[in-house]
Amino acid sequence: MSREPSASALLAERAALAVILAVFLAPIAWLISTAYKPARDIFNIPPTLSFTPTLTNFVNVFRYFDLARLIESSLIISLGATALSLLIGAPAGYALARARSKWAIGLAYFFLAVRTVPPVATLLPFYLMMRDIGLLGTWGAVILIDATLNTAFVVWMMFSYFRTLPRELEEAALVDGCSLPGGFLRVALPLVKPGLVASALLCVMFAWNDFLYSSFLTRAESKPISVALLTAYGTKDISWGTLGALAHFSTLPIVAIALLLNRYFVQGLTRGTH
Amino acid sequence: MAIVESRPDKASGRTLSPAALVPARVRLPFHRRRQAFLVLLGAPALIYVLLVAIWPLARGVAYSFYDYNLLRPARTAFVGFGNYSALWANEAARASIETTAIFTVAAVAVEFGLGLGLALLLWRDSAFQRACLALLLIPVTVTPIAVGLIFRALLAPDYGLIGYYLASFGLSGPRGLLGDPNTALPTLIAVDAWQWTPFMALILLAGLKSLPSEALEAAEVDGANALQRLRLVILPMLRPAVFLALVLRTMDAFRIFDIVFSTTNGGPADATNVLMIYAVKQGLEFFNIGFASAVANLMIVCIAIFSVAFILLVRRADKEANAS
Repeated sequence: MSREPSASALLAERAALAVILAVFLAPIAWLISTAYKPARDIFNIPPTLSFTPTLTNFVNVFRYFDLARLIESSLIISLGATALSLLIGAPAGYALARARSKWAIGLAYFFLAVRTVPPVATLLPFYLMMRDIGLLGTWGAVILIDATLNTAFVVWMMFSYFRTLPRELEEAALVDGCSLPGGFLRVALPLVKPGLVASALLCVMFAWNDFLYSSFLTRAESKPISVALLTAYGTKDISWGTLGALAHFSTLPIVAIALLLNRYFVQGLTRGTH
Repeated sequence: MAIVESRPDKASGRTLSPAALVPARVRLPFHRRRQAFLVLLGAPALIYVLLVAIWPLARGVAYSFYDYNLLRPARTAFVGFGNYSALWANEAARASIETTAIFTVAAVAVEFGLGLGLALLLWRDSAFQRACLALLLIPVTVTPIAVGLIFRALLAPDYGLIGYYLASFGLSGPRGLLGDPNTALPTLIAVDAWQWTPFMALILLAGLKSLPSEALEAAEVDGANALQRLRLVILPMLRPAVFLALVLRTMDAFRIFDIVFSTTNGGPADATNVLMIYAVKQGLEFFNIGFASAVANLMIVCIAIFSVAFILLVRRADKEANAS
């Protein structure tokens, strides 16, 4: 980019960005606003932007959905899958980054390849496996399958973070009498905290937003909020307004977290390439 | 094994530990111990992925050679490549492959074009640009099922904020953009672009920010105009980021499911029946496990071919770059 852009060029650039921003955010704004619209304003013909705000839709959400249960399911599934993935993925990423064997890079690519598998290819046999061992319809089944893609992601992501740490750090600690596990846990791990936060954020997002696995592996009493979102549309009494209100609990929390932790979110997207 | 007792040594008056009395304690050399430690750290993830991802995949390969339907399990029979030849002979399956290919190529192309423009606009390092980037990434975080539902509502021809006006100005048929077989797929491409263009822009922007400023300044001093700079200087240097962005989005677009499921569910008239939708319907709606597995495996083969082609392409590009 040129060093000193003219004021008009700068203005044009910003105006263009503002317009683009408006286009990308308008659908979200609509989703939020529709939650506060009474049904007759949503179905106005012709459609209008003005409405009398109401909280009826939120009342309906509580009437039609066991919201606490849905959020509980989503939280258990996404936190469970994230904890499992980090617990086994981060040490593996470290091992691959520190191994001197030529197998290590091959294994790292193996984990990367696992992430490119279309979900349906694992879902069908996994569905039958879960049926056979009686886990179909449980949170456990969804956690297990969510954690495969997430583990592969965490391994690759943490591999890329640990690789940037000089080996000398742990080697110095070892000379000072630190044990091998100590070198990993107390020396290397604290230095890649941003990587851990970014991994966790994207794992939570992936599991929270997942629809395909959850919709086929859970039952009515164990389904997460992402699955309820679609049934919200299918039910007759329920309008777009209820969907908008429900999205306040399903979609907006993730949006808010990603905005708050934007730095980590960007790191996760660019380095882990989820 | 000899029991070594620890007893006071009368001559020196010190207590000798058992270890001191065993001359050479068996201890692995350090590099072996470290190797064992690293294997121990890596093993759980590897075993996990082998059990929960690779084992099901292997079973999927096995299923694809059987005529296996959950609704009539008694009639299960080995059919060899029967499911694959049925797939090839099946009109709907072939159409699904074509739809998926069109969707993938078009969505990635649109997202790349828009994403590159957006990345160039975001390139300047200012608070305004940084804030824009943060806000532009919001669509990436929205539940894909919700994305589908949002656009389904907005595009509804009878009451949708966009759809109503499109229909009343004759820009869409009476069934709306998503209800017309001719416009449904392009509309889904646009919806996918809404969600993923910012991601494309982010990857390209990361590439732009890592470019050496000397080369860019040199081009400017040489009097190259903006378009020449982009074509002759920026894009060639940006190649790694471009490759990465294209590959990531291609893999994801090829596997699209949620947005299609919550808008058209493959319709109207199979116009948006991408392979994921097709395989899920065959497998989990009609319980045609054998055939659905064949579709899923076909997808894996496509992705594998694409990955290898991509790696070869990158290698060649690297060689060219090194040669020049």
